[in-house]
Amino acid sequence: MTPVLSVRNVSKSFGGLRAVDNVSFDVHQGEILGLIGPNGSGKSTLFNCVLGQLPASTGSVLVDGQDVAGKRPCDLNKLGVGRTFQMLQVFPDMTVLDNIILAGQEHKGTMLSRLFGKPDAGLTAEALRMIDFFRLGHQTYEKAGSLSYGQQKLLDAAMAFMAGPKLVMLDEPAGGVNLTMLADLKERLKAFNQERGATFVVIEHNMEFVMSLCTRIIVLANGRIIAQGDPETVRNDPTVIEAYLGG
Amino acid sequence: MSKHTLLTLVAGLAILILLPFTQSNYGVFVLSSWLVYSISAMGLNLTLGYAGQVSLAQASFMGIGAYMTALMTMAGVPWPIAMVAATVLCFVIGFLLGYPALRVQHHFLAFITLAFNALVVLALRNEEWLTGGTYGIVGIPRPEILGLPTQKPLAFYFFVLALFVLMAAALYGIIRSPWGRAFKALRENPIRANSLGVDIRKTTLLAFAIGSSYGGLAGSLLAQLTQFIDPHSFGLTISLKVLLMVIVGGAGFFFGPILGALLIVLAPEFLRFTEGYYLMIYATLVIVLMVFCPTGLLGLVERARTALKIRQKPNATTWEAGR
Repeated sequence: MTPVLSVRNVSKSFGGLRAVDNVSFDVHQGEILGLIGPNGSGKSTLFNCVLGQLPASTGSVLVDGQDVAGKRPCDLNKLGVGRTFQMLQVFPDMTVLDNIILAGQEHKGTMLSRLFGKPDAGLTAEALRMIDFFRLGHQTYEKAGSLSYGQQKLLDAAMAFMAGPKLVMLDEPAGGVNLTMLADLKERLKAFNQERGATFVVIEHNMEFVMSLCTRIIVLANGRIIAQGDPETVRNDPTVIEAYLGG
Repeated sequence: MSKHTLLTLVAGLAILILLPFTQSNYGVFVLSSWLVYSISAMGLNLTLGYAGQVSLAQASFMGIGAYMTALMTMAGVPWPIAMVAATVLCFVIGFLLGYPALRVQHHFLAFITLAFNALVVLALRNEEWLTGGTYGIVGIPRPEILGLPTQKPLAFYFFVLALFVLMAAALYGIIRSPWGRAFKALRENPIRANSLGVDIRKTTLLAFAIGSSYGGLAGSLLAQLTQFIDPHSFGLTISLKVLLMVIVGGAGFFFGPILGALLIVLAPEFLRFTEGYYLMIYATLVIVLMVFCPTGLLGLVERARTALKIRQKPNATTWEAGR
């Protein structure tokens, strides 16, 4: 079976610094892959290479077997790759409903049909289901900017899922979220994975969040993969402990 | 659209139909000017207010539209063809002018559009063989619709009003459509919009193109309204005036540019009694408004409505109260 995401020998250098060094891995349908590592390990650079924000110096990235080198973020989205950002990225002056509809509308019809067709691109019912799924139903008609930080994180995740992507890349989804909202976010992500077979790649510093959410974890240090496996294996790996604690 | 909004619109339209009958020829001319500038400002509101792309070139598109219409109609081309050609030409040029916006933003983009406006004015002034140079073009004919002339001010006013309603309805349709949502997303967060599949390149170029085409149509109408055009009528000052209409009325509000154009076109008439102090009073009013309400007059109205509803319904959220 073709992996949803295949990263092959990707390296990225900035002048003399090799931020990502010959990294290869596959992500299969339904997996939740965690990408962890100490600060400066190359996680974000790798993430940006996969998402086309940075061109890789060498290697290739395949989504469903298709090379995505040089694709713009909007093209990647149309290929079925959703993402969230480390910093909150919602549309604060638009309602929650409009945020969610926007996240799906570009996948409906043609450019012309979107001008002359229904104002909601026929997405209101689906958007309301998504909003309810992420427990934001009571905020549907609120402006996104008036939501709490945690609720905006939920909205951000909901937007990434709205177009029914094959793969969602989550960049520090737990960052700055309080414990109650964090449990909510984790539970919603797990439910989405189980009910809809969604595939995720998660970058996260919150170890407890990663260990309890992910089915497989890759650990990066100095741009290289130093360990990978299920959460328990990674937790007890001495190279991982050394990379985090030093010594 | 709510019943209340629909009633307000019908009442507004009734006023627009009846008002000119109470006015002198000059009054009707001023009302026609207001509608013409409103069309131009509506276009800039789409580019700037909804899509967030700064443009100081709206007057240049009015100029291109005006000269295109004048030259074509005076050469015997039927007015509908001339007006459509003027609008389409501005759409295409606006589309091309949008390319710099893909690389630069904010004040850098403002300077690029400003330079474009200067370039158009220079071309209109220097290419005398075509444009008449600084002397401009005189005697531009007004259209004849199904055998009915619009030479008289009242008849031409209704012609302008019909196009104003048509263009306002078209803009309303665009803003409510997924295109409108994409324009707003471009304004609020282009990086996120791109990651959600919004083609930022196409959206930016379309925002410029549609906004510019409104400028072109307004210019076409202005040429027929004044029946005389010269390069000075489309200089940077006029671009700033159209920008002021959008900002004063409320950028990003549908009725903002219409209200802004009303104030900017009518203010000189109301302040005529102040004689030489007119510009000083006008400038002071604009400064006060921008300091206390940078979102324009409609922003002020929305703030007042929200405050009032929160007072009536203390538990309401901000958005519910503002609805």
